[in-house]
Amino acid sequence: MADERRSSPTDDVRRLYEEAESRTARAFEDLVSRGSFGELLARMTENVVALTKIATDVFDLALRNLRLAGRQDVTRLARQLARTEDKLELILQEVERLGDELNAEGRSGGARSGRRNSANGTAGATSSRTSRAAK
Amino acid sequence: MSVVEQLARMPAAAIEFANILLTQDDAEVGVTPKDVVWTHRKTTLYRYRSTRRRHPVPVLLVFALINRPDIFDLRPGSSFVEFLLDEGFDVFLIDWGYPEEEDADLGLDEYVCDELPCGIREVLRASDEDQLTLLGWCIGGTLCLLYGGWAQDNPVRNMVLLTTPVDTSGSLYSTWVGRDSFDVEYVAAGYKAIPGQAVDWANKLMKPVTNYWTTYRRLWEGVLAGEPRREAFQAMARWVADNPPFPAAAYRDWITWMYKENRLVHGRVRLRRRRVDLRRIDQSLLVVTAGADHIAPPDGTRPLLDLVGSTDVKSIDRPGGHIGLMAGSKARSEIWADIARWLQERSQTTREGRSDGNHRTE
Repeated sequence: MADERRSSPTDDVRRLYEEAESRTARAFEDLVSRGSFGELLARMTENVVALTKIATDVFDLALRNLRLAGRQDVTRLARQLARTEDKLELILQEVERLGDELNAEGRSGGARSGRRNSANGTAGATSSRTSRAAK
Repeated sequence: MSVVEQLARMPAAAIEFANILLTQDDAEVGVTPKDVVWTHRKTTLYRYRSTRRRHPVPVLLVFALINRPDIFDLRPGSSFVEFLLDEGFDVFLIDWGYPEEEDADLGLDEYVCDELPCGIREVLRASDEDQLTLLGWCIGGTLCLLYGGWAQDNPVRNMVLLTTPVDTSGSLYSTWVGRDSFDVEYVAAGYKAIPGQAVDWANKLMKPVTNYWTTYRRLWEGVLAGEPRREAFQAMARWVADNPPFPAAAYRDWITWMYKENRLVHGRVRLRRRRVDLRRIDQSLLVVTAGADHIAPPDGTRPLLDLVGSTDVKSIDRPGGHIGLMAGSKARSEIWADIARWLQERSQTTREGRSDGNHRTE
């Protein structure tokens, strides 16, 4: 019985390794949970953001002087498209609302359409979008 | 396996190990057939195809703004979506897409007051039902909570929240980004869309040894033992590495409201000039927490149970991590079945017909 319970050297090495690994993991988790690490992370993030901003500005300036479209131009165009899509969404909502009203008139019970349009929690389902579309 | 056998197998194992890592991007995730129901900007609403729909109340899956919602449908045989479809549910998924710099203006209010309500409206239209179940995971759960506390008389019949951050005080994230020296305004102004890789790096840094070493060591051991679990590893690795950017405005809102000011738990979130009042949430509520969750620890979710107005509340706490609980190898037997059972009991009747009895259980 005692022989059966005795572990092999390979098992011992494995056990010691796993123990060391889990201790290292705990030590690192303790390290990253400290306030000083948070402070370091905050400063590092700020530096990375600043460097990225400088690099982006330099690239954009170079592209602009070469009369080529840069990231900012593409983004501006994409924003225009997004605004147009916001307006189309308003139209879709109106069309769906009118469709529901017509269906409700066709049927005797019209409660369902009212419920559907209450998904945004307001009686005027389209009002919340208007502000964004108008930006 | 003896040491000699292990040494003999090592060259072949090394090649297989490298092959698994190098081809992980080819793993197929999110393959359950689905149709596009509605799109707006980067948001897409999908409906999964099924011929087995039995429960009238549709389920809308809402995932976080970080990582992709493919985790709901990771791979055949290990897919929560597939499981729900087999159980007879009508499953929809709202996918936030890959926001870019042009979406920098998308704040949490746009997600909660525009995108989510429009998605809900389209779910109801497509399913021809009056009510639905919202099932949110991580930030997706918080978005569902914000919606429930903001939208009056909304059509949500049930709400299921998986590992959802609510009270962030004392959390590791709060130590990192909640401090004054972390200038979220500067970060949001510098990056119009916060790179997904940066968010992923921060998440992994919470458990650096586990994420950067132990995962690969375990894979190596599996390969050496001839049991590599290739499909499971690759699907998860691909999902982990797929990090869409976080729109700058939403990132600023999220960090400020949740970590710097912890507003949600104190009832101080306002969307479109209306206060988010969690007591307004009177739907049947299922809250799932994971014991070893370091991103949304159970202690940070439980306060919700006392904040909502629901009388039918159930809380389930299981061992597991933030993602592993729902997407791990034991998820099907340990948690999915419980969620499906809870949903089945609440997916037959109309809102007016639901029980008002006190079912608060833990």
